[in-house]
Amino acid sequence: MRAVSTNEASDGELIRRAGDGDRGAFEVLYRRYARPVFGLALRRLGDRGRAEDAVQETFASVWRAAHSYRPERGPGGPWLYAVARNAIIDRGRARTEPAVEPPDEASREAGPPERAEASWTAWRIHRALEELSSNERTVIELAYWSGLSQSEVAQYLDIPLGTVKTRTRAALARLADLLEEELG
Amino acid sequence: MTHEPPNFRELVGEDLSQEERERLQRVHELLVAAGPPPELPPALEEPSGEVESPVMLPRRRAGAILALAAALALAAFLGGYLAGRTGGETFNTFKSLQMRGVGAMANASGTIDIGAPEKGGNLPLRVVVRGLPRLPKGSYYEMFLTKDGRPIAACGIFGVTGRTSTVRMNLPRGVRDYDGWVVTREQPGRQGHPVVLTT
Repeated sequence: MRAVSTNEASDGELIRRAGDGDRGAFEVLYRRYARPVFGLALRRLGDRGRAEDAVQETFASVWRAAHSYRPERGPGGPWLYAVARNAIIDRGRARTEPAVEPPDEASREAGPPERAEASWTAWRIHRALEELSSNERTVIELAYWSGLSQSEVAQYLDIPLGTVKTRTRAALARLADLLEEELG
Repeated sequence: MTHEPPNFRELVGEDLSQEERERLQRVHELLVAAGPPPELPPALEEPSGEVESPVMLPRRRAGAILALAAALALAAFLGGYLAGRTGGETFNTFKSLQMRGVGAMANASGTIDIGAPEKGGNLPLRVVVRGLPRLPKGSYYEMFLTKDGRPIAACGIFGVTGRTSTVRMNLPRGVRDYDGWVVTREQPGRQGHPVVLTT
């Protein structure tokens, strides 16, 4: 049986290897998850400096606790999400809030369950984006978050419009495959 | 900037099976709900080398101060290369934005030219500022992306030597969820960060 290379290994396998002290496996995990963890921390903490601290605490915790990961209890992604969420909550507790006046009316922001669901969705999407090729990720980022039409994306990247459409559809299909559990 | 989500029909075309269309439509909705992933700050691009005994890397601001000191030293060494660089090389402008002066700088103005993406995804910027005064030694101007009036990412620092100055910067890859730009005047030792230009 062929050994699975580190880059192709599942998240759970990488966590298991990190638990055995495999620094290379840990670094692959870091590359897969640094942006999703940072995004989650930014959402929860609203401050880049503290979010950076939370990312470092998350991965320090992953390294320390990886040996306790049990694959039979579930895949690696949700385990990492739980570690990140705990590190971010700890960082939030450490915050020294200035005294503020109580609000006059109820907040219109989403409540904790909605926020948790939104955070989990963003986590999964941002993690899946890391799996796309650079070309596919670029067309998705330009289409969704730069306000460019498909024609403008083509002009911007100096590639034919048909190539933009092909890459965009391929990227969406790949994301659908990666997010199958979420969509199912 | 905050944008309208893209038109799903335009993205995928019309020649999909109903099942595949629905599958991609759900991904589309998740992408819209999730928003853009953040750009990793330089301090987080690689894992800390000290995971056995976790040591916190310097915070972004500390890193920025060191980078600033290095940048200012380099600028001084190059005899004002950054300050007032006119940029003779070609620059393919994709989009331009105007900035206006604020407060005492009401007569100042600026233009941000956004170029085609570089290898690696950074977007080159050419910033032309007009009417900003030269600053005392040690002070500098800094440009930020903003969201809801708060700075979210630094683009670069610069000085000026004449009425019009041109500087080159980069918009980091992945930073998409912003709604404006500002230029501030930074004075080491002072707490304020007065905005001198804004979009």
